[in-house]
Amino acid sequence: MVDRPEGNRPDAERAGGRTDGETTASPPEPALADRLERLGASLEARRSEDGVEKSRVRSTGFAQAVKVASEFVAGVVVGAGIGWGIDRQLGTSPWALILFLLLGFAAGVLNVLRAEGKVAEAGARLREAERRRSSSPDGSGGDIA
Amino acid sequence: MAADKVDPIHQFQITKILPIQVGNLDVSFTNSSLFMAATVIVATAFLVFASSNRSLVPNRWQLVAEMSYSFVANTLRDAAGKAGMQFFPLVFSLFMFVLVANLIGMFPYFFTVTSHIIVTFCLAMLVIGTVVVFGIWKHGFHFFGLFVPKGVPGALVPLVTVIEIISFLSRPISLSVRLFANMLAGHITLKVFAGFVVMLSAAGVTGVVGAILPLAMAVALTALEFLVAFLQAYVFTVLTCMYLNDAIHPGH
Amino acid sequence: MDPQAAKYLGAGIATLGMAGAGIGLGTIFGNYLAGALRNPAAADGQFGRLIFGFAVTEALGIFSLLVALILLFA
Repeated sequence: MVDRPEGNRPDAERAGGRTDGETTASPPEPALADRLERLGASLEARRSEDGVEKSRVRSTGFAQAVKVASEFVAGVVVGAGIGWGIDRQLGTSPWALILFLLLGFAAGVLNVLRAEGKVAEAGARLREAERRRSSSPDGSGGDIA
Repeated sequence: MAADKVDPIHQFQITKILPIQVGNLDVSFTNSSLFMAATVIVATAFLVFASSNRSLVPNRWQLVAEMSYSFVANTLRDAAGKAGMQFFPLVFSLFMFVLVANLIGMFPYFFTVTSHIIVTFCLAMLVIGTVVVFGIWKHGFHFFGLFVPKGVPGALVPLVTVIEIISFLSRPISLSVRLFANMLAGHITLKVFAGFVVMLSAAGVTGVVGAILPLAMAVALTALEFLVAFLQAYVFTVLTCMYLNDAIHPGH
Repeated sequence: MDPQAAKYLGAGIATLGMAGAGIGLGTIFGNYLAGALRNPAAADGQFGRLIFGFAVTEALGIFSLLVALILLFA
């Protein structure tokens, strides 16, 4: 995957470390620079998608199993821990533990869905999710499907 | 059975090399500390040596150093955009530390630092701490908008927010458990198969013939472990970049 | 019997419920895989239902874990 703009980018990054060979190129015109910028941005977007796809394919089966299992178990463990802590502080035993274990379970399922790329990441892709959900009539089922 | 001879857990034991006691704290210099220091020294020495004679046409060492540089730089830029490059020193240090620690652990009789959950957990907490501190410093209260998803019906917002917070808090755990479990399981499997070779070859001629199969498995597993060592360092880096992305652009 | 010991025994027995969830998960993922191998084109479309089944099954397992945790810590 050594296409031309990508080959150029690390060079530009490394220019600080190099002393020769970079200064000879004449500065491009503003319009051209703008277009190059846009090309770079679109290439970057495309490449990041490729990168995500590849990283999913490339990992070994065991690594993937550990990933999904750890995501799920981490959610449950953190939920139970929070519930236990609240119980200890407020003396509401065992209700906070019950509530937060179930919430932690939900968080674990959410983590698994995120690890599998079926639900948008929190934050960055929320807007896109909003657009998609507002177009469909039922909003609540969007998380699972 | 021969528990004292072939104990797959023994390799993870922490031994004190230089006992130091500060008050009630035990801050002894252990074999874990030794190999962490070795990891830092090896990674630093490698990068300093590789970049010592900068030439336009790189030699092999410089090529490897430049490859690791541009690899991490591309990963970070893909995940967190140009603004993410300010975290490059942190991400590159983490990548080199985890990678070199994993690779050092592949030498026989060497200690694998990343097979202890406290080490990986501290690395993960470093990442999450950076995310939280930077997010709050840069975006203030707005950072907590990360936990409030958009497009959810009003009545469900508190519930989903709590779930999102738990999901966020579970990140350092899953991040550390993943690295730790992979390294631990890999080294135990390796040791068990190597133990089969020792046990079988002690049982006469038929045993030696029978030991060929586990020996082949051990060789194949060693190759797989090198792959896993690199892959887990890469996964750790990618996830670090993704979490940093949340701190830089918390959604809206 | 010491009540504390009975508590620990009860917690241990309660976690056996997780075995049922394990069997259920095996059935779900096994059948999903069998179906997906017969008709790979339809596999992605059923992923949501797979996760739904996983969530419901695992929730029942979580209940037994909950009982064990309550016995131990509450």
